[in-house]
Order: sequence, then structure tokens, then C-alpha cells
Amino acid sequence: MSENILVIGGGPAGLNAAVMLSELGVNVTLVERDSFLGGNPKKFKYKFLFPDMQPADNVIGELIKKTESADNIKVYYSSEVSDFKENGKKFDAVIKSTSGSETKTFDSVIVATGFEHFDPARDAKYSYQLFDDVIDIKDLERMMGENNFVRPSNGKPPKKVAFILCVGSRDRHVGNQYCSRVCCTVSVKQAIEMREHFPDCEAYIFYMDIRTYGFFEDLYWKAMEEHDVQIVKGRIAEITSGPDNTVVCKGEDTLLRGPFEIPFDMVVLASGMEGGSQSPEISSKLGIELDEHGFLKPENVTLSPFKSNKPGVFLAGACTGPKAISDSITEGAAAAMNAYTYAVKNR
Amino acid sequence: MAIENHNTGNSGGVRPVVEKGEHIIARHLIEDDNIKEEKNLVIDGVDVSGRWNTFIISRVDSDFDRSFFEEIKKTVVGSRINRCWQCGMCTASCTVTPLYRRFNPRAFIYMMQLGNLKELKKYIDVAWRCVGCYKCSQRCPKQVNPAEMMEALALVIKKYFPEEVKTKLKLDEEVKKIYEDMIIGHGRLDLAKLHTSAMQKSGKTKELLGKIERDAIFKMAKDGRAFSILRLGKPHNWSRSKEAIENYLHKLNTIENGEAGV
Repeated sequence: MSENILVIGGGPAGLNAAVMLSELGVNVTLVERDSFLGGNPKKFKYKFLFPDMQPADNVIGELIKKTESADNIKVYYSSEVSDFKENGKKFDAVIKSTSGSETKTFDSVIVATGFEHFDPARDAKYSYQLFDDVIDIKDLERMMGENNFVRPSNGKPPKKVAFILCVGSRDRHVGNQYCSRVCCTVSVKQAIEMREHFPDCEAYIFYMDIRTYGFFEDLYWKAMEEHDVQIVKGRIAEITSGPDNTVVCKGEDTLLRGPFEIPFDMVVLASGMEGGSQSPEISSKLGIELDEHGFLKPENVTLSPFKSNKPGVFLAGACTGPKAISDSITEGAAAAMNAYTYAVKNR
Repeated sequence: MAIENHNTGNSGGVRPVVEKGEHIIARHLIEDDNIKEEKNLVIDGVDVSGRWNTFIISRVDSDFDRSFFEEIKKTVVGSRINRCWQCGMCTASCTVTPLYRRFNPRAFIYMMQLGNLKELKKYIDVAWRCVGCYKCSQRCPKQVNPAEMMEALALVIKKYFPEEVKTKLKLDEEVKKIYEDMIIGHGRLDLAKLHTSAMQKSGKTKELLGKIERDAIFKMAKDGRAFSILRLGKPHNWSRSKEAIENYLHKLNTIENGEAGV
């Protein structure tokens, strides 16, 4: 008799966990809230991934293909876990989908519900949704993916673009004190892509710190040294409209101690990551802890970052905090190993 | 908006402007350069002479000028300007900054990157103070070569602010002569000679043989360094280089004199 394991969430972490478990011969049930697999990378049509600019399809597409071709993975699309009960060492879960509700018993559970992009409209100073030419990194990623890099206001290619880092991150004003880890690298990556395809377009990055950690630093160096991306130190306090259909970034250049109001053709906000509405929901449904940042809380952040406080329920990917895709995939595998061990022990 | 300037003709009855921006209440908060005032001014046919023609130029930077960055990047000395990420290692290691706080290589490079000539202009008097010790270039984590960037800065300032350079920079002809003779004559700097010349020039001949100096001379004589200074040689084939430099200087003088109408 093979084990039954429930994976909640079909993003990079959930997919990799499902694939790993299916290779171990486990019957996997994958619950996905959207009508497609792939999570945020698929939803927002990420095109190239840092650090090596490989097509996102090579990674996400590969995982989806493996999941769909596995006989022992049952995927429920547009579905959710509507009820969840402990049954001894096992768990009874009701899976609600368009085709009705189904109750199943699982040996262990992997939660990989992921993150949500911070909505910059929540922070009025950036005038997102007020001006067409103020977009954020997920919008730009989609534009690049659709080969449609133009100013939304007039359909013409921009000549001067500003990237603003730490939008919705490291800002008590919006309630997010943490660093979202990947937005610096994503912005630098996008600036490089932009300069590669549109060399006439100047790129400026407004930053407080540039946190391209580890080897992602190479991208940051490359952006400056090979693509003349200019970094300017200072956070932007206000975006207003300017003459000739421009958007004006108002800020302080903290290195020169001088105020500036610079007009740009387009502004890209590096919006951060949030636990989203799904994190508290899943936390109350499964009875696992939520942390003060709105993400799910691991039992021990260093020793067992993939375990929740409830034995048998494991965590993977960005549901425990901002994370790069590679880290999510690693955690998917780690959670799969732990969920399998738990299931075998309590057979 | 049509602005007519009547500075040349004096239409009677207008109160002459006594001091720049005298009507501004918090006058001490405004820099002189930021006040724009015309003696007589007509805007759209309305005479706004007197207290209504005082304008305060905003302190806010209103644009980045990238053409300037491109210009510097094309020079040999400034080719690595795109690398600088403003860590401040150059200023931290600078020999000059502790003496002149306003000499800040990091800030100068930043101003050049953003094409902020308005800001650069404030530093014309100190921007030339680099002594070329190259400590910054040795320590720079991105190999920007800030020491040579200061040469790029000098070129830029000379090009964009020729008038200010003439009025604000007082070149000490005597020091220049000592320096030039040394370079042309020997092909290298003789620091001991430069030191004695400077002391003599400032009238400190007595101190030249003070206790510290005497001790130094004794020490250097003992370990042989004093003799190597005396034997200071010239670089290989120096006579040809010397000729080239002299030719260049001669040509430069001719051009400058020609421009000045001498």
C-alpha cells in the first residue's frame, strides 16, 4: 500500500514536492486554486529568470510537464481545502472544486501556498494606477514576456526609465518591515534586459541598499559595467505628472544631500512579496502558526525551516517568506523528503 | 511668456537695486547664486521692475544629464566612470580630504555620473587638489581608478567653466616653475627638493635645518638613502621625451598667447 500525501499549491515549490513524491511511488493529491499550474511565475508570465537569464519555461514548464505526465499525481484545479481535521496521526481533508467536494485521508501534508506581489496602489505616494506610465516589476515582466515594451500611455518606446526599489518592503508605513530579497536582483535583471534590447533607453535605479545577495551580485556589476545602468541613492517620496507627458520622481539624493524632481518616461516599481490572503486562511484552516509578517511560521527557522508547528504538516517555498525560485524548488524537495518520512513512520 | 530685458536703458523713476535680493525676508537662507534679479524687467508687456523682479532659482535638481557621462566615458582617464557605486573607499583613503574636506573624489565622480554641473561648479577651487598618490586607485573595490578620474574632472572643469577657472584658480607661478623645471630637467619629482623649495618660498629657511630635519638627514646618510637621492638619475632616453614636452609646451604657449591676442 502506498502513502497518500496532500500538496497544497502548484507553484515551483509545490510542483517539485509533488514530482519528488511521485518518483518515490507516493499517491499525490495536488490542490491548486487557479485553473492552471505554475503559480506566480506562470500567472504573471515571467520570461527570463535570474541569475543566468534562462527562459522561465525551462524551469516552470519542465515541472508542469513532469507533474502532468505522472500517473500517481492527481491535480485538482480551481480548488481549495475547505475542511481539515486530524485523524490520529493522519489527516482528513475536504477538497472543494468545481466538480464538487471530496473527502480524503492523507498521511502527511505539504503547504506550498506561496506569496502575492505587493499591490503598489496601496501606497499612494507611488501613484500606481493613477498614471499609466507607472508600472511595477510584474507588469514589466509581462510586457517583456509579450515583447511589448512600450509606454502604456502612448504606445511609444520610452527613452528614460526609473526603477524604484523597496516598494512595499522595508517600510513600516505600509506594514512590511522585511526585505523581499529578490526585487533588487529582478530589477537589475530587467534593467539589463531593457538596455540590451533598447540601448537608447537610459536606466536609473533609485535605491536605499542594493541587496543582490550572493552570486546575484554579478548581475548588479554587469548592469553597471556593461550596460551603464546608473544607480542613484535615495528613496522616492512622491510621483507626480510632469511636462511632455512625463512622470516626475521626487526624492532626496542622499549622497549629495540635495532634493531632486526628475522627469521620466516610465517608472518601474520593484514591489515586494507578501504572504497574501491565503496565508492566514490556510493557517486557521490547518491550525498552523502565522508569523508577525503575515507568512507561515516554521517550527525552527534554522534547523527545520520546512516544518510547521503541527507534526505531519510541512511548509515549502515562499509561504514562509520571500524567496527566489531556486530556493522554493529546493524547499519543495526538502519538504517532500520530510513528508515521506513522516508518512512511512506512521504507516 | 515674453521676457524683455531693459538693463541697458534706464526708464526714469525706477528705484535702483541696492543689494541682491534685499526684499527677501529670510535672505540669509538663500545662496547668492540662486537669486536672479534684473534692474528693469518687462514680462508680457507688464513692467515688473523693482521688488517684483526678484526670482529665487530652485535648489531642486530637475534632470540628469547623461550626455556628460558619455563624454567622460570616452576619455582614457574617465573610461571606468560607469563602474563607480559610491562606496566612498576613495575618499576614505584620500590624502587630501583630511586637509580639504570639500575635496571629495567620491562625490565628484557621482556629480560627473549624473551630469550635475551645477553642483560641480561649486568645487572649482578644490577640484584640482588631487596630489596623485593613487591610494584611492589601489583600494577601489571596483577598479574605477579614481585618481585618474580626477584628471577627467580637471579636463571637464577646464572645458565647461573656463572663465571660473581663470578667476577662481590662482596658480602660484613660482611653484609651477619649480615643478616644471624638475619634471622637464629630471623626468621625475624630487620630493626633497620640492620640500626645500616650498620652505624657502614661505620664508621658513630656519626650520629647514631644525631638529627633525637634522635627525632625518643623519638617518638617511647612515642608511645610504641620502646618497641615492643625490645620484637621482633620469629615465631612459629622457632627452627625447624632454624635447617632446618642451615642444608641446611651446606650442601650447603660442596658442594661448594667440587666443589672448598677444
